[in-house]
Amino acid sequence: MSEIKSIGIPTPEEIKQAQIDFAPRCTSAGRVNDKETQGMVEHILNFARKHSLFVVAYGTGCGAIEIPATMTSRYDAERFGIRGAATPRQADVMLITGYLSTKTLKRVIRVYEQMQDPKYVIAFGSCAINGGMYFDSYNTINALDRYLPVDVYISGCMPRPESVIKGFVKLQELIKNGNAGNGEAYRSDLDWYRKNQQKVIKNWDFPDNYNW
Amino acid sequence: MSKLKKENKVLDKLKSVFNLSGEVKRKQRIAVKSDSKHVSSILLFLKNQQGFIHLNHISCVDWIEENEFELVYIVWNPKTKLTVLVHTRIARENPVMENIDTIWDQANTYEREFREMFGIEFPGLVAPKEFILEDWDDIPPMRKDFNSQAYALENFATRPGREDAQDVREVIQKRSGEELPDFAKKYSRD
Amino acid sequence: MIREKETTLYIGPQHPGITGNMMIKLKVAGDTVVKAETHVGYLHRAFEKLIENRNWLQSFTLLCRFCVPEPDPMELTFARAVEELEGRKVPERAKYIRTIVSELARIQSFLLWYGGQSGSSGLYTVGQWSVGDRNYILDLFEDLTGARIYHMYMWPGGVRRDLPKGWIDKAYRTMDYLEGRLETYNQLLFDNAIFQKRAQGVGIIPKDKAIEWGVVGAPLRGTGIKHDVRIDEPYEAYDKIDFVVPTFEGGDVWARAMVRREEIKQSIHIVRQALDHLPGGSYYNRIPNPMKWTVPAGEAWVKTESVRGEVGFYVASDGSNKPRRVHLKGAAYTHGVSVLEKILPGENIADVSFILNSLGVCPPEIER
Repeated sequence: MSEIKSIGIPTPEEIKQAQIDFAPRCTSAGRVNDKETQGMVEHILNFARKHSLFVVAYGTGCGAIEIPATMTSRYDAERFGIRGAATPRQADVMLITGYLSTKTLKRVIRVYEQMQDPKYVIAFGSCAINGGMYFDSYNTINALDRYLPVDVYISGCMPRPESVIKGFVKLQELIKNGNAGNGEAYRSDLDWYRKNQQKVIKNWDFPDNYNW
Repeated sequence: MSKLKKENKVLDKLKSVFNLSGEVKRKQRIAVKSDSKHVSSILLFLKNQQGFIHLNHISCVDWIEENEFELVYIVWNPKTKLTVLVHTRIARENPVMENIDTIWDQANTYEREFREMFGIEFPGLVAPKEFILEDWDDIPPMRKDFNSQAYALENFATRPGREDAQDVREVIQKRSGEELPDFAKKYSRD
Repeated sequence: MIREKETTLYIGPQHPGITGNMMIKLKVAGDTVVKAETHVGYLHRAFEKLIENRNWLQSFTLLCRFCVPEPDPMELTFARAVEELEGRKVPERAKYIRTIVSELARIQSFLLWYGGQSGSSGLYTVGQWSVGDRNYILDLFEDLTGARIYHMYMWPGGVRRDLPKGWIDKAYRTMDYLEGRLETYNQLLFDNAIFQKRAQGVGIIPKDKAIEWGVVGAPLRGTGIKHDVRIDEPYEAYDKIDFVVPTFEGGDVWARAMVRREEIKQSIHIVRQALDHLPGGSYYNRIPNPMKWTVPAGEAWVKTESVRGEVGFYVASDGSNKPRRVHLKGAAYTHGVSVLEKILPGENIADVSFILNSLGVCPPEIER
């Protein structure tokens, strides 16, 4: 049990064995102590996470029009385990559907910070990547990753449901390999992000510490 | 001119009551120009006497060369299906315009927008200060002298390669060190 | 008394019941709304400012993004405004193609509305099916224009390209399919007791005030007043086409739903007629070099009927190669702010998103 080679669905025997193996390494509160075991647990958790992506219901821009198409009968994103969640607390993925106006950016940061780890961000459309056709607009930001960590960018204006699903599959791949989820990076680089955010958001009335 | 009988009748009626200039632009379109002081009484007359009870639109144009804002009130008559465009011009410095949200409630929304986007004051307008923008600290953005691109470059981080709206042909020319072919030159900006 | 106490409640911008990205600030006493205030600006992209820096043809890429669920009326209205300024003629075939495309846009928007309206009353199956069916219309668009949502297809002087081979047959087949599906939607949504009980008597717009309040489109026809831009100021091929403008008495959510139920039938009827009588000939009158194309000075106010109501463009030109001012008036501008603020007081909190959907409020149209 030193390392898990393939990520298949574990058989009941394997789960039982894993429980026996991990039992001495866990504290009474269910926490894992040593690094090696932590890695294994993360591996198993990542397998579960990648098949259950709850998307926070926040249509921040015009890309939101392809979300209903992606979620409904023809494209049926739920077969990938993707479905909507009403509140940020219960969601894993945040979709930035297109450009962000400065007014929305403030709310998006708030929503992102309320989401619980592990959390992922998918940004839609050329306008989230480099401003797109709104490059000279006084009210839309041009490069999203200066303000929020982004896992996957989907190009296009607007991205078709197929490319939305492709983006999600890419995210699942990243999650499986343990490369996704920037909540920790956001926390450690908070000063840099805050500096960028405060440059755009003039009236900064957020709590100083990001501890929620 | 017999085809535009209805239109001319409304225009003649307006001309007989108010001191204004105007013309019938086409079928169902009447445009009049008036002093800003008389706009509210013209609109009231149109609404109460002529049956133009629907406020379609209010628009504002910045004519910076003439140092004036032009306000256009568009009203519509559901019975005769005619549209009247009432134009008026106000000075660009300290612009003040009469508030007409007592005539039509929805004018309030337009006036809030113009107060924010053009800096036009409407005395007696009761509405929250902010409508579309939030914490705006520059000159009103829809004015012609506001440079949107300069503001965006100054305030928002840009991705390398997108610092300005480069003309692709010029960039290719610089990279390759070649002269722009003649056929491409004529499509170049400016 | 706890009922007397007023609480402030924010719905949106992050809320599943909100159409798009906007916020409604409610003052509630218990479960009843006392005062409503619309807050917009979350989708403000400053289109009208940007268009002043684009030339006439470049502005079409921005224009269609004014309203996301139904972009085609925007293109059509602006193209017509430019044609009016220039005095440019449109070939007969292009007029019919434009009629077909704008009616197809109406149908896909109706199907999206089915999803929103039923979803806000808890009937999720309707949305799954209707948004799935909407893809068939988008397929037609894709064959015709190359894109699903934003087409940039209707340009001054006509349309960008001719109908591809086999498209007409496909359009007929799609219309037949959709007409067959309508009965299913009737059973699922309109004959459904849940929807009927939720919709009747909710969100009433009074008939005598409707026009004065600035109500247009289906909400106006839901109060029994017959007004439609396609009949009042016929454009494109609508004056040669035979169709009925449905009205319904009541002014509530139910009346608006019934109007839309009939309108989708009429739209299918119009598409069929336009396909039947599609004339031959050219589809495009060439415009000059777009980089040097100037439009004569003047102004134009042009209206088009979209699903949400009338869409109007005030376009002013100073004779240069860039528009002086392009100002959109969407139906949501009045529906989403002043009308909504007037009809929400007295309703339940649970009905807020229900009423919002029935008015067809589209936030990007308000703030642009």
